[in-house]
Amino acid sequence: MSGDLIELALACFFVGAVIDVVFGVTNRMVRSLPYLLGLVGSACLLALGIRATSSRPVNMNFTLLSGSGLHALQIDQLSGLFLTLLFGLSIAISACFVSWVMPANREYHRGSALGYLLLLASVAVILCASNAFLFLFSWELLTLSFYVLTSVTRSSPRQTGAAWSTVGMGKFGGAALLLGFLMLAGRTGSLNLESWHAVGPGALLDVTWVLVIVGFGVKLGVVPFQVWIPRGYPAAPGPARAAMAGVAANVGVYGLWRLLGILRGPPEWLVIGVLLCGGVTALLGITFAGVQSGLARVVAYSSIENAGLILTAYGLALTGSAIHSTALIALGLLAATLQTCAHAVAKSALFVSLANVEAAEGSDDLDQLRGVGRRMPWSGATFGAGALALAGLPPTIGFASEWFILEALMQQFRVTDLPLRLGLAVAAALVALTTGLAALVFLRVLALTFLGKTPTKLERHREHGILNKVGLSILVLGCSLGAALSPLEVRYIASGLKPIVPRAITLGATKSPWVLQPVFSGFSIISPSWLWVILPIAILTVFLATLLFSRGRFLRVRRVPPWRSATSGVNGPSNYTAFGFANPLRHVLGNVLGTTKTVSTYEEEESLESSKASRVQSTVVVVEPVETYIYRPLRQAVVTVARIAKRLQSGRLNAYVAYMLVALLAVLAVVAAIR
Amino acid sequence: MMEASSTVSQSFEAFAGRVRSHIEVGARFAGLMASANGPATELLAVLSQSGSLVAERTALPEGVWQYPSLTPDIPSAGWYEREIFDLFGVAASGRYPLEPLVLPLASGAGRPRPGSGEELPFVTLDPRAPMTRLNGEGVFTMSYGPVRSGVFEAIEYIVETPGEDIPSLNLRVSYKHRGVEKAFEGLSVDDGVLLAERYEGVASVAHALAYCGAVEQIADVTVPMQAGFVRVLHAELERIVNHLDTVIRHVEAAGQAVAFSRFSLHKERVQRLRARLCGSRFGRGVVVVGGVSGPPAIPPTHLLLDLDEIEAELARDTKLLMSTPSFLDRLRGTGVLSPMTVREYGALGPVARGSGMLEDVRFARPYAAYGRLGHGLLDVLGEGDALARQKVRIQEIDGAFGLIRRAVEELNEFGGPADGKWFVPFSSVSGDALGWSEAPQGELLTWVQVRDGILTRVKPRSASFHNLAMFPFAFPKDILTDFAFIEASFGLSIAGVAG
Amino acid sequence: MPWIPRGLRNGIVTSGYPRTPDGYGAGFRGTVEVNPDRAAQVTDDVMNACPTHAITVEDKQIQLDRGKCVLCGRCVNMVPQVFRFSESFATSDLHRRSLVVPSLKEGAVALDAVRDSLARRVKSLRRSIHVRHVDGGSDGADEWEVAALTNPIYDVQRLGIYFTASPRHADVLLVTGAGAAGMAESLQHTFEVMPEPKVVIAAGVEAISGGLLADGYVTREGIASVLNVDVYVPGSPASPFGLLHGLLMAVNLLPPTKRAIGSEDCSSPTTWERT
Repeated sequence: MSGDLIELALACFFVGAVIDVVFGVTNRMVRSLPYLLGLVGSACLLALGIRATSSRPVNMNFTLLSGSGLHALQIDQLSGLFLTLLFGLSIAISACFVSWVMPANREYHRGSALGYLLLLASVAVILCASNAFLFLFSWELLTLSFYVLTSVTRSSPRQTGAAWSTVGMGKFGGAALLLGFLMLAGRTGSLNLESWHAVGPGALLDVTWVLVIVGFGVKLGVVPFQVWIPRGYPAAPGPARAAMAGVAANVGVYGLWRLLGILRGPPEWLVIGVLLCGGVTALLGITFAGVQSGLARVVAYSSIENAGLILTAYGLALTGSAIHSTALIALGLLAATLQTCAHAVAKSALFVSLANVEAAEGSDDLDQLRGVGRRMPWSGATFGAGALALAGLPPTIGFASEWFILEALMQQFRVTDLPLRLGLAVAAALVALTTGLAALVFLRVLALTFLGKTPTKLERHREHGILNKVGLSILVLGCSLGAALSPLEVRYIASGLKPIVPRAITLGATKSPWVLQPVFSGFSIISPSWLWVILPIAILTVFLATLLFSRGRFLRVRRVPPWRSATSGVNGPSNYTAFGFANPLRHVLGNVLGTTKTVSTYEEEESLESSKASRVQSTVVVVEPVETYIYRPLRQAVVTVARIAKRLQSGRLNAYVAYMLVALLAVLAVVAAIR
Repeated sequence: MMEASSTVSQSFEAFAGRVRSHIEVGARFAGLMASANGPATELLAVLSQSGSLVAERTALPEGVWQYPSLTPDIPSAGWYEREIFDLFGVAASGRYPLEPLVLPLASGAGRPRPGSGEELPFVTLDPRAPMTRLNGEGVFTMSYGPVRSGVFEAIEYIVETPGEDIPSLNLRVSYKHRGVEKAFEGLSVDDGVLLAERYEGVASVAHALAYCGAVEQIADVTVPMQAGFVRVLHAELERIVNHLDTVIRHVEAAGQAVAFSRFSLHKERVQRLRARLCGSRFGRGVVVVGGVSGPPAIPPTHLLLDLDEIEAELARDTKLLMSTPSFLDRLRGTGVLSPMTVREYGALGPVARGSGMLEDVRFARPYAAYGRLGHGLLDVLGEGDALARQKVRIQEIDGAFGLIRRAVEELNEFGGPADGKWFVPFSSVSGDALGWSEAPQGELLTWVQVRDGILTRVKPRSASFHNLAMFPFAFPKDILTDFAFIEASFGLSIAGVAG
Repeated sequence: MPWIPRGLRNGIVTSGYPRTPDGYGAGFRGTVEVNPDRAAQVTDDVMNACPTHAITVEDKQIQLDRGKCVLCGRCVNMVPQVFRFSESFATSDLHRRSLVVPSLKEGAVALDAVRDSLARRVKSLRRSIHVRHVDGGSDGADEWEVAALTNPIYDVQRLGIYFTASPRHADVLLVTGAGAAGMAESLQHTFEVMPEPKVVIAAGVEAISGGLLADGYVTREGIASVLNVDVYVPGSPASPFGLLHGLLMAVNLLPPTKRAIGSEDCSSPTTWERT
């Protein structure tokens, strides 16, 4: 039965991809078909995931695809947990995708559905792979699907660059994984993931840990491998970004979780490294998110921030593994998983609604989109819910998960080892700073862009499609009401984490059925569900009290023009721009952002009376440190080496024969020397 | 009093050439004033050559509505040319289209042309939003005023900004243009003082002094010596109270509640002292043409005691304020004016002195009894920031107390005038002259034209006219939160600019 | 920190007004009083000497318009038997006509009606009055006097009167200046965005009648040509106590029996004889 479900899903994805490649993009109905199939496939995988989480591991028995190498698929609770989350989301994303591709005037390219379905299929296989070959194979397929998605719309050279950096970093991550997995396979002689538990502590294990963390970290967007994200995500078409950021990136999380359940603990220095790396990633991500002027890039940078938060919580779990505290592992993983869920849902919400907004407005510039939330209430509400969740404001799911991460990091006093404690303390400080900034960043986007006032009232856009609205509603509910159900979510995650930590320990996080605590009791408690009761009541009470005391005058509103210091009018935009709002951030975090401001004056023919400062040009530049100080010199060096190597390619046969001769002689010499 | 040396040029080109040659040898451009003489327009340029005034005159004949702009060579002429265009319709042609300064009228509308004696019916204004001049990502325009937080005169500051910085600041001063210059027309010389006092209410005494100085030059009368002492007494009280007002604005901006109360109390006490001396909290009615209306209402010995008390309390609080780090930090390095800007725009008063330009009319061209009373020299402060301007004012408060004390002592010694008359009466006169005084805001010039005892043209030029024009250049490194401090440190009076 | 003891230095300096009379005013020119019995002495010379033509004589009745008087004191100097300075600052009134002294008997009834209607309007503003000041083309001195209300001597906060930044919170619009054309639109806009009930105070003779600037090319007869004025506060500029009196009158908070505290009834001939 389980095998049937996964077969059915993969079959749906395959057929959908074929339809896309064969029938192309001409017919609107045909266009949407692959996504409908994607929706069906996702539903199958969701059902499978729910079943797997609540039962014992199941092996697949295939009826259709036996002998295809897929016999190495095995589903345990961890796979089930991620299947539930990711394919639950991909149902909503597929639904929105269907509506998104329908309009006749949509700029749409052949291959989008192929990339999307390939992405879903490879994610499904990765989550179920019990064998290294299958895992790596589908990992490469995932990279391929990213390439397809980022390169379908080749409208500008920048787009091509985005595709190349996506695939380049993907390949780099894949290579690190391959190397790590091969080292483990070489030591144990087995490709079965479970068998790697046998690898004992030592240099090989340490190096492997580094390699797999790098490999999965690239997919997540951990510093210094984050450079592809702000280019790659915006390059993908519409809702596909949601699939990349909300679904595919989380297989990196899955990989980290999986290996923590299999491998023995990493060395202490690596744990500290992971903690610091997580903290820095989070801070860097949110800082740059705060100063972007394109909405897609804001959302993309926030992915980097969340990668940092998740990695930091994962660092706490690694700490637990290093000091053999199962409770700490449980806490770290629980916090990280909660954040993963929150981020996945909220990020999908943001990217899906952004797809609608961008399609309707033709731009993702924060200042041009002013007031778009009023023009597109459905997408606006979805974006608002996602943004509030990522800002970590109550009563959204983001609040519960960020609370968990902060509380988890505060448990550093339970760690006796000083370097680890320091690492945790620094990471906690960085995370605290990050969560504060996140509120600022999303406030900017929400208040100035989505709810901002426009000088003239603009017309509403039609928001197409019932499926679109269904998908958006799922995501809104996930972001908001999801928090009310977080005790249930914790229980579900506890089941899902069973292969790594016993369920009973993880369930220490539930103090009572509706009250949560950071696993260790007596530290602090929270009840996101109660917030959903008390906040509406409080708001309602205030409203009623106001109504009562004002004797109804509160509702009688006299409308007058807005008060703007009684000016008789000025030229130029007269509202705070999103760019201007980020100015304090650019100023205060100038060291992180490398801000440079220049003001220059120049003369112009049509100008004012003064001989000075006829026109003023203001330029503000921020510099991405990783890209500027690591990748740019690196690229320079690679290009130089390549140029030198190119000289060898003379094209003359005799030269090549000479190279071969020299190589042969060198090998012989080495062999002779070893003997 | 010293007469301004005056040259009349036959053509505008000769006039402009002479003005430029003065500037080239280091003179300060102190004003460009106009007066309608029938259909012709007289122009008067005033330059200050190391303290003494030089007047250059010419006339634009009937039908000439344009003249080549002086602004490219003399930046501080820019606002004068805009003002002259607004009031007279005579445009400075150059590469820059003129934006209205004090009176936004549609092109072709009738202009007031003060001096012409012709009535202008109530006008319809045509306020246009000033052009933006800032380019860049995310820049926007914020208007601040004419109705803004606090009790302030009406002016609109238009900030163009990419955030908190102020790379470009534009001003709109026309809101409170009252047409005072036109209202002078046809008044008697005596009534003129009342209006001069209300040209810039916070500097009533200084305006009355400059106006009376001009009229007394025309009538060629010498003010009784004792009247000179009374004039100094009131002028210096006015200075103290104006400088206290800037201190109050500073401490209010810095949120120093106790200091705000203390300095408001001191200011109120000085205001009450002024009321007890002459009946008016602004020293109005004291200065009359030919002298003063009468002796101070308080006997000199009592006055000195009152002064001692106020000065001692004030000095104690000032000392504490100038050693309060949270206050000084907001002023230090805030609103730095470059020496070049200060020179180009002909900054005046404490604003100029904070940047090391020490010229003070009281001592450069003594009027009233300043010549007799001597003067205290200022320490040279060249930092050009808000703190330097504030230190100048605090020194000037000290100096003012000294001058008042000497004036009162002299008054005590000499008693009243021998004939009991505190002012010299004179018969109706004709002519024109330039009067001056050092208002608390800086050098004040008043050009007066009289025909048979009736005023035909009075043009007061307030120090704020120069200082406000320079204000947009005081934000090199400053952000919006510094605005209140920089504005306070300029000690501007808008009424004197809008006219 | 050292500021805290400094604030206690002079003890309480705040005026008790309006609960108790304030002694301030020695030599202060609050307003001009008229002796109505000496109409014969007011010659054309006296009337012409007044720079704002505030003095008229009709049917042997002297009329001094305090809404025009700039307190220059010429009439006081010329005919001290008829005109004299008074220290009174309680000269605000609700009716433009009532600023003309000595007051006409028939005006009193109309004034009562105005007072009642204003009192009904401002009933809800008892203890918390927010004032928005707008400069309608003043000479700058008026702003000083308005700002002085917050100093420790007048301290209007003790009476529940606050200056507010936004007219959206304001109950009282306090306008100074001659009502310059450039401010007309801004004044109207400010008034429009204020919530009901709202009161407009014209402070100073320039705001009331234009003063010396009446009937120019950008000024007419004060701010009355722009807004409907509820309370007139004479003075050139209106003194802080005058403004306080006007503010309290605007919100009907003057103690009823002591309406003229700090002053005598200026128009009463008996008072004139007593001095």
